[in-house]
Amino acid sequence: MGVSIAASAFFPGSPAPAPVAPKNALGERPDSLDVRGVAAKPGSSSGTLRAGKTRAHAAVPKMNGGKSTVADGEHETVPSSVPRTFYNQLPDWSMLLAAITTIFLAAEKQWTLLDWKPKRPDMLSETFGFGRIIHDGFMFRQNFSIRSYEIGADRTASIETLMNHLQETALNHVKTAGLLGDGFGSTPEMSKRDLFWVVSQMQAIVERYPCWGDTVEVDTWVGAHGKNGMRRDWHLRDSMTGHTILKATSKWVMMNKLTRKLARIPDEVRTEIEPYFFERTAIVDEDNRKLPKFPEDQSATAAKYMRTGLTPRWADLDINQHVNNVKYIGWILESAPISILENHELASIVLDYKRECGRDSVLQSHTTVHTDCSSESGETTLHCEHLLSLESGPTIVKARTMWRPKGTKAQETVASSSL
Amino acid sequence: MLRCHTPPQCRRAPLRGGREPRQAAPGLVRCARWAQQVPGIEASPAHAEAKAERPTLAERLRLGSLLEGGLSYKESFIVRCYEVGINKTATVETIANLLQEVGCNHAQSVGFSTDGFATTTTMRKLGLIWVTNRMHIEIYKYPAWGDVVEIETWCQEDGRIGTRRDWILKDLANGEVIGRATSKWVMMNQNTRRLQRVSDEVRDEVFIHCPKTPRLAFPEENNDSLKKIPILSDPAQYSRLGLVPRRADLDMNQHVNNVTYIGWILESIPQDIIDTHELQTITLDYRRECQHDDIVDSLTYIEEGEEKSTNGSAFAAPHKEEQQQFLHCLRFAGTGDEINRGRTVWRKLAR
Repeated sequence: MGVSIAASAFFPGSPAPAPVAPKNALGERPDSLDVRGVAAKPGSSSGTLRAGKTRAHAAVPKMNGGKSTVADGEHETVPSSVPRTFYNQLPDWSMLLAAITTIFLAAEKQWTLLDWKPKRPDMLSETFGFGRIIHDGFMFRQNFSIRSYEIGADRTASIETLMNHLQETALNHVKTAGLLGDGFGSTPEMSKRDLFWVVSQMQAIVERYPCWGDTVEVDTWVGAHGKNGMRRDWHLRDSMTGHTILKATSKWVMMNKLTRKLARIPDEVRTEIEPYFFERTAIVDEDNRKLPKFPEDQSATAAKYMRTGLTPRWADLDINQHVNNVKYIGWILESAPISILENHELASIVLDYKRECGRDSVLQSHTTVHTDCSSESGETTLHCEHLLSLESGPTIVKARTMWRPKGTKAQETVASSSL
Repeated sequence: MLRCHTPPQCRRAPLRGGREPRQAAPGLVRCARWAQQVPGIEASPAHAEAKAERPTLAERLRLGSLLEGGLSYKESFIVRCYEVGINKTATVETIANLLQEVGCNHAQSVGFSTDGFATTTTMRKLGLIWVTNRMHIEIYKYPAWGDVVEIETWCQEDGRIGTRRDWILKDLANGEVIGRATSKWVMMNQNTRRLQRVSDEVRDEVFIHCPKTPRLAFPEENNDSLKKIPILSDPAQYSRLGLVPRRADLDMNQHVNNVTYIGWILESIPQDIIDTHELQTITLDYRRECQHDDIVDSLTYIEEGEEKSTNGSAFAAPHKEEQQQFLHCLRFAGTGDEINRGRTVWRKLAR
């Protein structure tokens, strides 16, 4: 089997050629939808559908029917407060033994499943970053190591890097489940009807920022949002310690590619996706405050900043020549004063996407900074309101950010799977 | 004409939270922004054994390793969805980022300093740093989302004052060479800003991990990586003015990083070339650096009438009719001082 090949991946410098990774393999599993009786419960709030042009990037969640052929037992039940003795305490040779054992276990588990198909061992999949479906088919997990160029000026991974990983995981989820239609934003049934998902809102809470060389583990899943929308949630943890890095949730609406109007979810698409809806929220207290009209707060404590003349570069564009969602965050932060960025770190962000922009757009970024009351330690937290608009006027994105002084400990979350 | 291109080398960034910053290898495309959290690693002389006492899980699972007795380093990377551009393939910026990453990891694995400069003990004593003056990348086949790219890198001496870092990129699935790159670096005194010869002491420290017999990514004679880029005189056929650095373009010392320059050069390429061609080669000569408040103009000139000789190279360029070639200049909008000079070669996309 692939065991010996996988083992060689753990022996750095081994003369054996590295295993061949298949290119862009669509999920090999059958497309049988195992309807498990989990009805999608419409959320109580249906009100965040946005008219206007917003742009989808990360795609539809789709999960393969039910069966998860993955040895994920060792990940799911270890509470994060207990250091994983496996990795932390054993000397080198034991680490290798542990790796080999895990591979054997994974292989063994695969052998025993009825619908087992020859595939790479999951350890290898993870090593190469393909990720795998877990939790009875409802969640997808992938690991990333933070690369040197993803680090920001303060030597930690930037919020854009983390958001990029969210995007990548979402797409890999869809791809692994075999439900990637044309382009990055549609299932096969949606592609047939010229429909695609468009993000309307995104919220993220960051507890800590990883550094170069850290490995982050991302879990993602989907659920319903209103009658006609979808949500996708993510939970990022440090792979080593299990501590939460980030939690995020996003809301999506369906749009017709040609008319650019919002669309209802057709029955065929519901059939594709509803079996995967999983009613769990990453962020428990969702920040549902409406973002204020901008500019609003005229109080003396608010300081306003602006940066103009922002233009998309080629690398900002996706295959449809629209600006990638994550880039907006960079532009939003362009107008934040450097003093904030130097002394504070982003604790949370809420983004409302209004309109898409393309190659020829020229944007301006506005930030209003409010200094909040000092905490008991005497340090100030801030929150900011942001507006990113075309210079001709229309709003692209509105956002609200909260900042805490660097080095402050965020509210820790126990990163167990019973979130 | 030389450019102190790696900002971290110009000024030490203040350490935050007492963390040891990480490291850049000589010949790094871009030595900034790195992070540093490698527990247990401290600045140590270039010994293969001088590694962290407790490598993290990430390091153990890192798909990179020293080869051939430590003379080169190889690592694999998967292309992520947000690294893919309008052609559904990795952008040249992604490739440049990966070259940097593997250079960093190489340096770290042989124990160079972890402060972002890839200096040895002697270099630090003498206040010497590496600066790059040329980068040349050729890509024959761009990888797509999900492809795994294997990059091998090594560095070696280049004359008395310089070093070079070379890379070979392969598609892991079939072993095909999909790209090559090389960069030239010189040593400079941090304080006097004067070039310095590589003394024997430094040479021994730095080049202990480099091939003794020259090994070049571009072994063919008169290859494109050696071609000079002439001074350009106005007027440019194409331009994009008023380019502005973003926060994310800056390193810890608030200088613009290399990969951003590549993006700026591409900005003034006309749309019809972007739509019908893909970038095969880019050569950059570094002259000055720029910062957050600078405004940059990107100018493009068509380079015509070149005899495209391939010298029997295995990587023969396609026929002349299918290629477009340009010369570039990035300069400060105000003073007109040159920041970079460049050349790009584009091949027609088979659509």
